[in-house]
Amino acid sequence: MTQLGYFAPDRLTDALALLAEHGRDLTVLGGGTDLMPAVNTYRFRPKGLLFVGNLGLGEISEQDGHLLIGAAATWSQLEASEVAARLTPALVEAVKISSTGAVKNSATVAGNLATASPAADLALPLLTLATEVRLASQSGERWVALDDFFVGPGQTVMKPDELITTIRVSAATGPQVFMRLGGRRALTCAVVNVAVALEHEGKTCTAAKIALGAVAPTPIRCFAAEALLRGSLLLPDVVESCATEALAASQPIDDGRASAWYRKRAGHALVSRALVQAGGGWT
Amino acid sequence: MKYTLSFTLNELPVEVLVRPTDTLLDVLRQELLITSPKRGCDTGDCGACTVLMEGVPIRACLTLALTAVDKKVTTVEGLSQQGVLHPVQEAIHEAGASQCGFCTPGMVLAIESLLRHNPQPSRENVEQALTGNLCRCTGYVKIVDAALTAAQRIATAGSGEQVGE
Repeated sequence: MTQLGYFAPDRLTDALALLAEHGRDLTVLGGGTDLMPAVNTYRFRPKGLLFVGNLGLGEISEQDGHLLIGAAATWSQLEASEVAARLTPALVEAVKISSTGAVKNSATVAGNLATASPAADLALPLLTLATEVRLASQSGERWVALDDFFVGPGQTVMKPDELITTIRVSAATGPQVFMRLGGRRALTCAVVNVAVALEHEGKTCTAAKIALGAVAPTPIRCFAAEALLRGSLLLPDVVESCATEALAASQPIDDGRASAWYRKRAGHALVSRALVQAGGGWT
Repeated sequence: MKYTLSFTLNELPVEVLVRPTDTLLDVLRQELLITSPKRGCDTGDCGACTVLMEGVPIRACLTLALTAVDKKVTTVEGLSQQGVLHPVQEAIHEAGASQCGFCTPGMVLAIESLLRHNPQPSRENVEQALTGNLCRCTGYVKIVDAALTAAQRIATAGSGEQVGE
């Protein structure tokens, strides 16, 4: 098995030094909910493991109206966080309906981004909330917008010596919604998932962000659909054309969970419902 | 390459040699011969390997053994006190909520954890708490019934003690 072995440093500088030395040969372990199934079923054999749970990065806090999520913070922590419930309700909803207790107790928020699953549930509300990811390495740190973070299935812009240390989320001022469709309600990978964040003045939508998952190589923003909403009333025909435009940005595939054909149609329905729900209180 | 792992298992200190990629489930079952956590799927889907770490339910199959260092791990073997079943175990037993028994240890620990945080759960709360525990005998109705019975008994026993004091 592993030539390098297992490391569980308790200082970030030590973790970054290990990453600088070993790069991609070290696999970062957060909650293990994605990594361990691959290890257990012999799909992946890590050369070395770097556990980040002892680095003191498990905090969830508020700073200048932003939600800060430490790299080791778990889904359960987020679900129980009053700050998160107040600032980012759609993110908390995604945690509530996308997994189950014992898995949420281990799974980290940062891990959901770093594994870069096209269906990553938390990535969608985060994409609609102007999220930035802080990446640290021995040569310094940088902030990357989540919009620029994902490259492809399992691939991100992170360099081999970089580690996520913090996720910074902007508080939405308007309504935000997360919805997902799976083979069943509990504990399944999404067939399609969607997040919407809107802002409005009176009955006019002034800003919109829409993100779709499981319909492209990465979670995606639907920029053309968002543009349609700006300055519009949330009328049924606007919702309809917005959903159509959102799915035009998708490139779904057939796989074991659903066909591309189904994903397009289910995605259209989910975007429509999410918009109607987000517009529920003011249109 | 092996590492020495020390942790507390059912209130007793244990020390065991583990490989870096061993899961807590591997170590419990194969090294420590604690066989109540079951290997159902090895991918975190079935809940049969649920154990408590620091009182919190986790999947033993998704937990790298070495991350359990110095932690308190509890399995159903550690739940009964001096040969007396825990109220959740007792309720499951009486309700006939265990058919083949494979899912039962995970169910018991998931229910025990729920009742510690929410002593008077609704039926929906129980169902929600058990979404990650699969029973392929499909005995869910009796399992949920048993959880509600256990909640009542714990509440009654609790108030009884107060009266006694």
